[in-house]
Amino acid sequence: MGFAHHLATGESRVLGKRLEMTALCADGREIPVEIAIARIQQDGPPSFTGYLRDITARKQNEDALLEAHTRLAQSEERWRSVFESSAIGVALADLEGRFIATNPVFQKMLGYTEQEFEQLHFLDITVEEDRDLNSALVADLLDGKRREFEIEKQYRRKNGSLVSVRNSVSVVSGSDRVPRFLLALSEDVTRRHLAEAALDKARSELAHVARVTALSALTASIAHEVNQPLSGIVTNASTCLRMLDADPPNVEGARETARRTIRDGNRASDVITRLRALFGKKSTPFELFDLNEAAQEVIALSVSELQRNRVTLQSNLATDLPSVLGDRIQVQQVILNLIRNGLDAMSTVEDRQRELLVMTERDEGGGARLSVTDSGVGIDPQIEEKLFEPFHTTKGDGMGIGLSVSRSIMESHQGRLWAARNEGPGATFSFVLPSSTNT
Amino acid sequence: MDKLVVVVVDDDESVRESLPDLLKEFGFAVLTFSSAEEFLASGSTARTSCLVLDIAMPGMNGLDLQKELKGRGDKIPIIFITGKRDESIRKRVLEQGAVDILFKPFSDTALRQALHKAMGSD
Repeated sequence: MGFAHHLATGESRVLGKRLEMTALCADGREIPVEIAIARIQQDGPPSFTGYLRDITARKQNEDALLEAHTRLAQSEERWRSVFESSAIGVALADLEGRFIATNPVFQKMLGYTEQEFEQLHFLDITVEEDRDLNSALVADLLDGKRREFEIEKQYRRKNGSLVSVRNSVSVVSGSDRVPRFLLALSEDVTRRHLAEAALDKARSELAHVARVTALSALTASIAHEVNQPLSGIVTNASTCLRMLDADPPNVEGARETARRTIRDGNRASDVITRLRALFGKKSTPFELFDLNEAAQEVIALSVSELQRNRVTLQSNLATDLPSVLGDRIQVQQVILNLIRNGLDAMSTVEDRQRELLVMTERDEGGGARLSVTDSGVGIDPQIEEKLFEPFHTTKGDGMGIGLSVSRSIMESHQGRLWAARNEGPGATFSFVLPSSTNT
Repeated sequence: MDKLVVVVVDDDESVRESLPDLLKEFGFAVLTFSSAEEFLASGSTARTSCLVLDIAMPGMNGLDLQKELKGRGDKIPIIFITGKRDESIRKRVLEQGAVDILFKPFSDTALRQALHKAMGSD
């Protein structure tokens, strides 16, 4: 075979090389082998040395490796297609905040190409008023204070227009080869925001109209009721003066008209008393409603305020809550007051998480209870008693009527509102409303 | 000379009590009735120089009485008094020929001026 050819021509396709081939074993099995033949330079007839090695194990390893590579490629492809065809924007950034990769939705939303993004920092496209909060949240993420965060903010597109987004941002823990990076899932909520703003406006207009209508009807009825005795007062007092001015003065007549003036004054005061009783009890019709739903609406309305105050809100709503009877808007006002109160109590907290827990549960008495727990400054024992008094405030900008009004609202619902210190930092404000079946 | 007779028709007792005293101080003779029906039945219309009339009353109200008198061709001057401030009512009663309408509480001067307008003198 080849040896003769080699000896004759000096050429070789085999010598000094490693070749892989299939060998046939004595028992008929075929195995992969490696063969190497070399010429031994020595005197005498040409000598060759060769070895044959069974490489079955190595082959198996190689196949496994190849398969792993294929699988990795498939996986990579799969993830890439998720990334590429995702319906929401996906952006990866290094820990400094520079974009590493962006998907087509994100690129289209902002109007930059992938290459342009690689030159940008996320703050470059974030509107100025959202930058501080956004940076602070990212810092929390990198410090390990949070695992992820959500932010509603505005980006400025390449063409200068604004887009409102809701971003979920997390740190992806890296591997030996891939350093940690930031992952942002970004949803365009501009249209939702516009719809929400329109809804909010419609809602507050409606509430305003309802209030004004109720108020004007009430005012007319108050005016009529009060004008009757006022008219008596004016007439009697005028008569009285005339009687005293007469010559000689009609003192007895004047005395009588003065008595009537007093009587009419008392009548006016009675009218006011009756109106107050009426106003306190029946100002608005009560309806049956779900306290959980009412609370969720308030929470939804408070999201941006919570975010601005860097407060994480957790809600824990009972599934077995009885429905309650009352003025839904007023009760929501109370919930909102309690949430705001919690935010205010935490505004100076820097050394711990600002956390607000809104919890509902069935009360021992069968009513529905809602509590708002904050991790704020807590209740100063010195002011504890004054907490619910009108015009008492610890805030620079407050009217001091929030808790007082809230308590009145609860009382008009046959409910209760109270405050308690937490075992840890902060305070818990709770109210309980009787269940609709108890009233 | 006999005093001019002013008639007060109001379902509110305190008005029937206080207003006549003031009218008497002005120098008038006064008759009071607690309803429009009572006034019509009294046969006093002929000697009434001026009618001080409440609008909201049970039964025949002040506006009904105004219409009734007009229908009879009775030209008693009418001064309306009412606790409800309503400009559309003012327009309506003035169109129907009322001298004036006073919203409670009204001053003695306003009442005096209205009476003056009604009777040409006091």
